[in-house]
Amino acid sequence: MPLRLLLQLSWRNLWRHRRRNLMLFTAILVAIAACVLLGSLIRGMQNDMMKDAVENLSGNLKVLAPGYREDPSIERAFALTEDYRPDIPDDEMIGWTRRVRVPAVVTSERETRGISLVGVDPGEERAISFLAQVDVRGEPLADADDDRILLGVELAARLDTAVGRRVVIMTQGADGRNREAGFRVAGLYDASGTALEKSYAFTGIHPLQKLLGTNDVTEVSVRLRDDRFSASANRALSKEMGGLEVLNWRQLDPQAAAFYEIADVGITIWYVILLLALAFGLINSLITAVLERVREFGMLRALGMRPRAVVVQVVIESVLIVAFALAGGIVVGVGLVAFFADGIDLSNYAAGAELAGMRSRLVPHLIARDVMVLGALAVALAVFASAYPAWRAVRIKPLDALRR
Amino acid sequence: MSDLVVRCRNLGRTYDADAIPVHALRGVDLDVVAGEFVSLAGPSGSGKSTLLNLIGALDRPSTGDVVVDGVALAGLGEAQLADLRLTKIGFVFQAYNLIPVLSARENVEFIMQLQGVPARERRDRALEILASLGMAELADRRPGEMSGGQQQRVAVARAIVTRPALLLADEPSANLDSETTKGLLELLRRINEERHVTIVTATHDPMVMSYARRRVQLLDGRIASDQRVSAETA
Repeated sequence: MPLRLLLQLSWRNLWRHRRRNLMLFTAILVAIAACVLLGSLIRGMQNDMMKDAVENLSGNLKVLAPGYREDPSIERAFALTEDYRPDIPDDEMIGWTRRVRVPAVVTSERETRGISLVGVDPGEERAISFLAQVDVRGEPLADADDDRILLGVELAARLDTAVGRRVVIMTQGADGRNREAGFRVAGLYDASGTALEKSYAFTGIHPLQKLLGTNDVTEVSVRLRDDRFSASANRALSKEMGGLEVLNWRQLDPQAAAFYEIADVGITIWYVILLLALAFGLINSLITAVLERVREFGMLRALGMRPRAVVVQVVIESVLIVAFALAGGIVVGVGLVAFFADGIDLSNYAAGAELAGMRSRLVPHLIARDVMVLGALAVALAVFASAYPAWRAVRIKPLDALRR
Repeated sequence: MSDLVVRCRNLGRTYDADAIPVHALRGVDLDVVAGEFVSLAGPSGSGKSTLLNLIGALDRPSTGDVVVDGVALAGLGEAQLADLRLTKIGFVFQAYNLIPVLSARENVEFIMQLQGVPARERRDRALEILASLGMAELADRRPGEMSGGQQQRVAVARAIVTRPALLLADEPSANLDSETTKGLLELLRRINEERHVTIVTATHDPMVMSYARRRVQLLDGRIASDQRVSAETA
């Protein structure tokens, strides 16, 4: 088949109806650019969801004792040697930490609340969790031996307490007996009103272990450089932590994982809907182009062009216009993503954004694979849209066409 | 028999016009040998264009069969008929039918491109034929930038550049003035005499008939007369 000839004919035919094809080209370009921008915003939202899930104490992977998730008590703690370090290469892991997390009751002079009390090493948390990033009124915890407590702004408000005051913590010790201790409030962390802020309090891991009467921990949390290392890291942890559960963030936060999956599907659905809408415009334009050239197609057939070549010519015309609009749309879309690289401020809609799992600033995140999928879908659209016009073109009988 | 380019036997073509059968051609027998210049003449509805279309594999007969350069058309599929038109037949249409987006040279190259002739050879042959027909300076012009006569000459160049066994011309002078028609007919005669191209033309133009060496007159779908004319008379 003379592909070069067909390409030449198709290319020049596109220029015969410049205005019509320019409008079609523009429509496709705008749609592709919108797909790139909105796709990257959805990815940005997805990124936020994952980061929130991972940074909100989950990590990419977490080691827990069996049954701890159902009953998160100190009875389900496990021993960890002082010199323990996960067997995960440095180039795959950002950091890791051990924690003690137990249910507790916090009492101020005025109120009592049920909370999760977490004993942490602030130095290790710095690399892997939200604790290092949040604003703290007062002082953050200094180290693993800090015996003060860090409350969320929201929790402090509910307890009607403040920085410098004392609260009483009551929880169950490793021996099953209730333990009680007073903690001075070091600071109040501001996690933008999230659920964490209302129900999590932090103190140094060593004072908490002392209160509970144990040296055990309830979890080991690992933050990876990329979630794709999760499977190999999981294998390494499972091997060295025999008898314990190694869970990824999706298992630890199924709701966030479900939102993440929905966003994945949502992008594809969004692409398909927009491109299908375009397909009808493309079909209409191509049919017009074919009907205008009935005589010409008849002449080409009369001169000896095979029916298959006629089909290919129509398909090439469609693919050419989509391909150029695709290239232009990607350039414009990437430009828009760059323009919004600092993020779109959603602080006016913070409450709604939080409900949707978004942060107050939505930062677009462009993924090459999405652009490639979009490109493949657009080319498939071009071929699909040209099928009917091509069928119309090939049904033209040379003699009937020449008689027109 | 080896120089028989067209062989029609008992050729009939019936159209259904509003369920009423119209017999455009009724049992025509016609042989054309290599090198002939034949005009199919007759009034409108006599069947001359129908016969030309059947010979050119653009239409299928209701009865009978056509053999072109040894190939029987009966039973050939659309793609095979397209191949036959591509390799054995050159067409000159009433309305020129050049490809509007291609230049004169590219139009002449078109058939060769479909045939897979290498680019260099294609270009040389196209320029050579345009030059031999006195149109070298028009090589880069598109059809819209040429007169009707010029376009028809390019169409002739396109039709003969691949040296087909048969050149079919359907009312080639219909859109031309008498002066231009004369020039075109001189060209066709030259092609017939110098290149020995077999030409069959359907026409009702007496001037076109006068240039043919064989005049086949059709009437009501049948051959009414078939005369060979000597070179001196023509």
